[in-house]
Amino acid sequence: MATLHIVRKSAFSSNDLAQCLALVIKSDTIVLLDDACYNVNHPLITQVLTEQPELAIQIMKTHALARAITVMDSIRTIAMKDLVSLTLTHEKVITWQ
Amino acid sequence: MTAFNEHKNTAIVDQTKLLALINSKAPFSSTYGKDSLDVALIFGSFEQGVSLFFQGDGVYQLIDKQDSSIISVKNYLKTFAAFEFYDIEDIYVCQQSVVERKLSDAFHIENVQLLTAKDFSLQLTQHKHILRF
Amino acid sequence: MNKLAVVITTPPYSNLTITAIDYVEAALSLGVDVIGIFFYQDGAIHANKSVSIASDDYQAIQHWTRLHKEYQLPLHVCITAAEKRGIPCDDVPNEETENTNEVFTISGLGELVELSSRASRLVQF
Repeated sequence: MATLHIVRKSAFSSNDLAQCLALVIKSDTIVLLDDACYNVNHPLITQVLTEQPELAIQIMKTHALARAITVMDSIRTIAMKDLVSLTLTHEKVITWQ
Repeated sequence: MTAFNEHKNTAIVDQTKLLALINSKAPFSSTYGKDSLDVALIFGSFEQGVSLFFQGDGVYQLIDKQDSSIISVKNYLKTFAAFEFYDIEDIYVCQQSVVERKLSDAFHIENVQLLTAKDFSLQLTQHKHILRF
Repeated sequence: MNKLAVVITTPPYSNLTITAIDYVEAALSLGVDVIGIFFYQDGAIHANKSVSIASDDYQAIQHWTRLHKEYQLPLHVCITAAEKRGIPCDDVPNEETENTNEVFTISGLGELVELSSRASRLVQF
């Protein structure tokens, strides 16, 4: 049972990401959207990438590009159609906003 | 420090309820709590299964002896007493959120289940849809 | 067949709504059956005909109107959320309800229950 977590805010100003991470399991996917793109440089994400590599972190390509955010290779960039597909391939979806 | 939750052995019988509502905001400065409650009550009145989850500042909605009328805010929290009437029976609270905020677990409603993050997470997946306010 | 319902909680002048519209449009173009959009909280402001967005800004209402017409996409606005935000709702069309954009259907929260039970996925923006 995999859940898609859509995160939309910067973890530097909101604890949505922290609350989200408290509930994820390794088969889940987290998608960074809107200002959550800034989270690529947040300690919580760095920690997840290092300690929980099975957890998929993905980011909306255009949202990161608009904000001039450099995305590391360990985070997959996606398009909106991919987000739609992810919604359908995961059993549940939660938006953290 | 983040330890992964694992969901083991979900129940064989599908007891999926229609909606899980995660309450994440404190009660009075915004209307998220009331907006969430309105959704809960409508699902209850249509006899659709709905469970309430409280996480983060959302747990402040449960503290006993609050009285928003003192600050001219309508006290929507009183309506929590009617949950049973709407068949809203499953109320889950993130234990860590309560502990972090140094709150007592003497809430203004009963039959509340304080859960670890792992169990809170597991319970969420027992619902078809999840909305968060 | 996957049926998708979407809840919109942000107003037409919010940039967050652009993301939501992009998502819905992507879903529609992929042939996903989007059974309805439910506008709740500040999302209800979409129904206000008097909303005037600077012409060089993103025109959210025009995009919803386009998707509604092209795909027969039902746009439900929560009546309670709408009324408190200054959008008069009346069963009988009158001078006041002329302020409600007819592309949107004024509905009760019950519509959200209906959409939720029919949808295989409910996504919140």
